[in-house]
Amino acid sequence: MPLIVCALILIAAVGAAGQGTTVRSDDPAAIAAGGAMFRERCSDCHGADAKGGRGPDLTGIWTNEGSDQRVVQIIRSGVPGSIMPPSSAPDTELRAIVAYLRSISTARAETSRGDAERGQQVFATLCTTCHRINGRGGPLGPDLSRVAASQSNEVLTRAIRQASASFTTGYEPVTLVDRDNRRTRGTRKGEDAFSIQIMSAQGRLQGYLKSNLREVIRDEQSLMPDFTPDRLNDDALNDLLAYLARFRVNEPPRRQAPAGDRN
Amino acid sequence: MRRHRFVPLAAVLLWSLSAGSLGPGLAQEEESPLISGADLLDGLKNPERWLMYSGDYTGQRHSPLKQINPDNVRSLSPRWTFQTDTTARGRGFESAPLVLDGVMYVTGPNGFAWALDARTGRPFWRYRRELPNNLTYGASAPVNRGFAVLRDRLFMTTLDAHLVSLDMKTGTVLWDIEMADYKLGYAGTVAPIVVNDKVIVGISGSDYPTRGFLDAYNPTDGTRAWRLYTVPRPGEPGSETWPNSAETFERGGGGTWVTGSYDPESNTLFWGTGNPNPDYNGDDRKGDNLYTCSLIAVDATTGKLKWHYQFSPHDTHDWDSNHVPVLAERTIGGERRKVVMVANRNGFFYVIDRTTGKLLQGTPYTNSTWAREIGPDGRPIVLNDGSKGCIPDNWGGTNFMPPSFDPDLGLFFVTARETCASYIPEKQVVTPGRFSMGGTVRRDLDKAYGALRAIDVSTGARKWEFKYATPSFSGVLSTASGVVFGGDNEGNFMAFDARTGANLWHYQTGSGLWGAAPITYMLDGRQYVVVGSGSAVTAFAVP
Repeated sequence: MPLIVCALILIAAVGAAGQGTTVRSDDPAAIAAGGAMFRERCSDCHGADAKGGRGPDLTGIWTNEGSDQRVVQIIRSGVPGSIMPPSSAPDTELRAIVAYLRSISTARAETSRGDAERGQQVFATLCTTCHRINGRGGPLGPDLSRVAASQSNEVLTRAIRQASASFTTGYEPVTLVDRDNRRTRGTRKGEDAFSIQIMSAQGRLQGYLKSNLREVIRDEQSLMPDFTPDRLNDDALNDLLAYLARFRVNEPPRRQAPAGDRN
Repeated sequence: MRRHRFVPLAAVLLWSLSAGSLGPGLAQEEESPLISGADLLDGLKNPERWLMYSGDYTGQRHSPLKQINPDNVRSLSPRWTFQTDTTARGRGFESAPLVLDGVMYVTGPNGFAWALDARTGRPFWRYRRELPNNLTYGASAPVNRGFAVLRDRLFMTTLDAHLVSLDMKTGTVLWDIEMADYKLGYAGTVAPIVVNDKVIVGISGSDYPTRGFLDAYNPTDGTRAWRLYTVPRPGEPGSETWPNSAETFERGGGGTWVTGSYDPESNTLFWGTGNPNPDYNGDDRKGDNLYTCSLIAVDATTGKLKWHYQFSPHDTHDWDSNHVPVLAERTIGGERRKVVMVANRNGFFYVIDRTTGKLLQGTPYTNSTWAREIGPDGRPIVLNDGSKGCIPDNWGGTNFMPPSFDPDLGLFFVTARETCASYIPEKQVVTPGRFSMGGTVRRDLDKAYGALRAIDVSTGARKWEFKYATPSFSGVLSTASGVVFGGDNEGNFMAFDARTGANLWHYQTGSGLWGAAPITYMLDGRQYVVVGSGSAVTAFAVP
């Protein structure tokens, strides 16, 4: 079916289902239309089943992020600092997508048996050199300030236990070999046919022309070690998960102008 | 109590990094440099760096680089273009990028910023500020003029009048403070400057009923060290120039939206201030309206005002004096002087003793003026207040686009605008958060044109000019090799012979150069010149 016709049908379906601009999240027609739109526009990053790919798992977002309106806002404005772009699609379409996501939501309040205070110590000892939370920590690995808002404990556990099983976009490990056979390891920030941009293991942003490199090796091993149970036992892991769960939204501290400062 | 079992941090790090950097035959890599206060004082001494809006504290925007020269500039060609995919409608790409360690840090319109590979223009990271949908001044001018840097941090103003600090490596927000309430009309567009471990930053919004100020913040946590208001409160010195001071001081204008200069020897900041508000109707603010449309000299440690010089007393033409003040040492009347120079929106070029604030020389650099001359008391002798037509328009004889100064040639290069306008004041009901221009402007566009002009600063006389089809807005860059870079509204990025004004090279960028300030740096033995245009940033070099 031509794309335009397809889109018209979708809009018609949403319009009929939603009676103008209001879309009920339990409306089957809206859910069906939203599902089609999701697969067309979102699944590249979030996976056809919305369980995450390059982008996060969306089946658990109601656990942590709250309201439908909040999810609509995120789709509308995109996520600064990520590859999630803003959307200019009509509200009815966004609401249909949200209705679909709610219909497949597996959300349940995810509790961790761990102790967040102890988890903070684990984080400070093992993670903070490379990962940051709310502006503190190293730059080499992804910022974890809101990772628990979009990833289940199961996904997080896998990422900690088997760090090399998958890589977040922008953090793929590479080794660059120059003409003198010197090697530089780092994470890949960008690449085109002629150049590659990395953050080296020392945390330095560095661009390379491929013509100056003998080889670009796509490492299978992450710069992060697998934290297997002999390195990090289950109790400590649960503590860490409990700590990560504290930071649902990445809101850096914003300060108001001091009161009474009207001079 | 349960016991944790984990491998100590050091062991884990060694394990994970050893394959990359510690064994034999591996690249010996340096840590990223941290930019110190001494590096900032060095300005352009390190040819691979451009560390602040004007390149160094003098505001001269004059690079010591010589690889690109009048002989080879004809072969200048683009090496890369970065498309930002965001535009400032009705404005331009006004940002001056910073460059250090092979990485370019550039801000853009609409709250965006990027770290780019300075060799290829390919991005490392992108930052986007989540902005409210009820911006005031920030909605009408959604621009940004650039970062400041210190240590491993960048500093950027935002359209909702905040100042944010970003981690240089990731673009992560480290702190975020509100400078003023954007709902009243304030916005952040200026590139901050770091001086003596303080982030110095100004504010936009004088077309709204707002009160200008200059701020200093602690780079570590964003706490404010001082604030200097540009409109005094009742009873303070200067308040006598506002007859209804008690009612108007909180909305008197005087924004500080173009980066100033700094003299380390006297620890003095030099900063321009914007128009009084309402812009075109001065009926309820009869008097000089200090410290609007002025140059202020400010103690960088305390934020105390040392002196002021007002270019346009009681302005009713929206002639903000928001220009980069240019510092130099010149021999004037046989005497060596430390001076500050300004080509003002009102059409005059000023040379001021920067120790005393006394005017040394004031001469017109545009053909259309509103004053016959600047009198011996430093005040303009006004011929035409605008009601009789044909004085510089509200965008002025030049505007905020940076000029440059070649100290060896003694030439000041400025994009001049020849315009002809009359002003029609109207009664203004002042409402917080609403434009309060107080009238309108009629322009005679048939007679308008632009020019790059070289002013001999020893006399104020015009040495040469190159005419543009329309009044243009491009910033200027000059280099020690005798090349001047400028541009026009039609999209041409151009190179000129600094001595003669002969056009040596041009490249059509596809969108007007509007407030963009070119920068230059060395990388891998090659000199690059970079300028923003439209929604893109392009780097040029000779083959």
